[in-house]
Amino acid sequence: MKKSILDLYPTTKLLGVLFVFISILIVPGYAYQYAILPICMVIALLAGVLQSFCSLFFKGVTLIVLFIFIIQGFFYPGETVLWSGWIFSLKLEGLNYSLLLTSKIVAITASIILFFQITKTKDLIIALEKMGTPKKVTYVIMSTLQIIPQMRKQLNVIMDAQRSRGVETEGSLMIRAKAIVPVLGTLIISSFENTQERVITLESRAFTTQRKKTNVTVLPKGPLDTIVRIVLLLLLVLIIWKGVIG
Amino acid sequence: MKRGLKKDFTLLAITMIPIGVAINVVAYQLMTILKMPIYLDVIGTCIVAMVAGPWVGLVTGGLGNVVNGMLNPVSIPFAITSMAIGLTAGYLSKYRMLVKPWRIIVSGLLIAVVSSATSSPIQVILFGGVTGQSGDIVMATLLATGKQIWTAVFSQTLLLGVVDKVLAILASSLIVYKMTPQFLSKMHYGDIYMRSKKMNRKGDQVK
Repeated sequence: MKKSILDLYPTTKLLGVLFVFISILIVPGYAYQYAILPICMVIALLAGVLQSFCSLFFKGVTLIVLFIFIIQGFFYPGETVLWSGWIFSLKLEGLNYSLLLTSKIVAITASIILFFQITKTKDLIIALEKMGTPKKVTYVIMSTLQIIPQMRKQLNVIMDAQRSRGVETEGSLMIRAKAIVPVLGTLIISSFENTQERVITLESRAFTTQRKKTNVTVLPKGPLDTIVRIVLLLLLVLIIWKGVIG
Repeated sequence: MKRGLKKDFTLLAITMIPIGVAINVVAYQLMTILKMPIYLDVIGTCIVAMVAGPWVGLVTGGLGNVVNGMLNPVSIPFAITSMAIGLTAGYLSKYRMLVKPWRIIVSGLLIAVVSSATSSPIQVILFGGVTGQSGDIVMATLLATGKQIWTAVFSQTLLLGVVDKVLAILASSLIVYKMTPQFLSKMHYGDIYMRSKKMNRKGDQVK
């Protein structure tokens, strides 16, 4: 089960995310939208990524959802007062509005996080290339994902180097502010000027050639992909049908 | 040198985009390590926009939010804000608004306004005016004093953004001025920041 979820073709999973996007806009209310979260959790459990999914999801969303309830609950214009104290009053309309708003945020966030947890970015890039995305675009995305961790490491190296020269990174605001220039300036200028070497490397590997290139990694499309796609399509048609009738 | 939407994306400009995004991330990380009250997380976008042009800046800003969104999807809609910042910084640089200190400060203010004007609609419509960060307290205070949610969100983002954006654009222009002429000459929009350095006979720089 775990393997079959992880081995789904990237665009099939992407269609799943798209399905969530469209369906939550069509279906009224908030029950269906909130139901997306447990569904995503079950898929994450089956794929063996439940822990990282939950930690990312709750880290990203909890505060926002909480603040939406507080701010909209108290400040949304409405008549039905549920509770009041001092100058604040909690209103039913505000709570309803918060439920509608947060249900959509929860559904979309959950589906996107799940997508990136069960899809390798490399596979996604290859699938995009097969769909005809220009090589320049996929290179930029892939290279960004690789460079960020490298730069983080380099930041720590430069900070240690500057500390050993006597640049202080702790103390009052002014002292800490003075550390910004020697650390960030060095990092930025060196990495920008390195791009020239990168360009030479790319050119020497025929990056700009117009010919079609081959790929080492092969991404097979299985029968499960077709099944999932058909099921998603049927569900979408059903939801639109219900939306039109009701 | 020919400029324009299609011509700006040279190979050198393209390789700068990932670096710009990474600098945004790293600058933010450094500010957290140093416990500074500012973010400076547009610094990479601004530098790329200044030397590689507005459209490359736009792509850098947008890509940064999308990459962030892989771990925290809340940042994806704010890609529009980052794209607007990149575009504005690029055009300001093109029209020589980032060459003198007072012009840089005016540009910083302008970028802060653009950033608030693009981020507040997203914040109000999609997230009910909330960001999940410390700024929400400011906004709640403004709301409690009887302000409309639009005014509250706009003033809150502007209030917190102004210092951050001015310092970020100041820092990025300082850094661009430190780049070597040899590198700047290869960029489509770098010529404004090239200085003819006075040399003595030995080839050392004269102050």
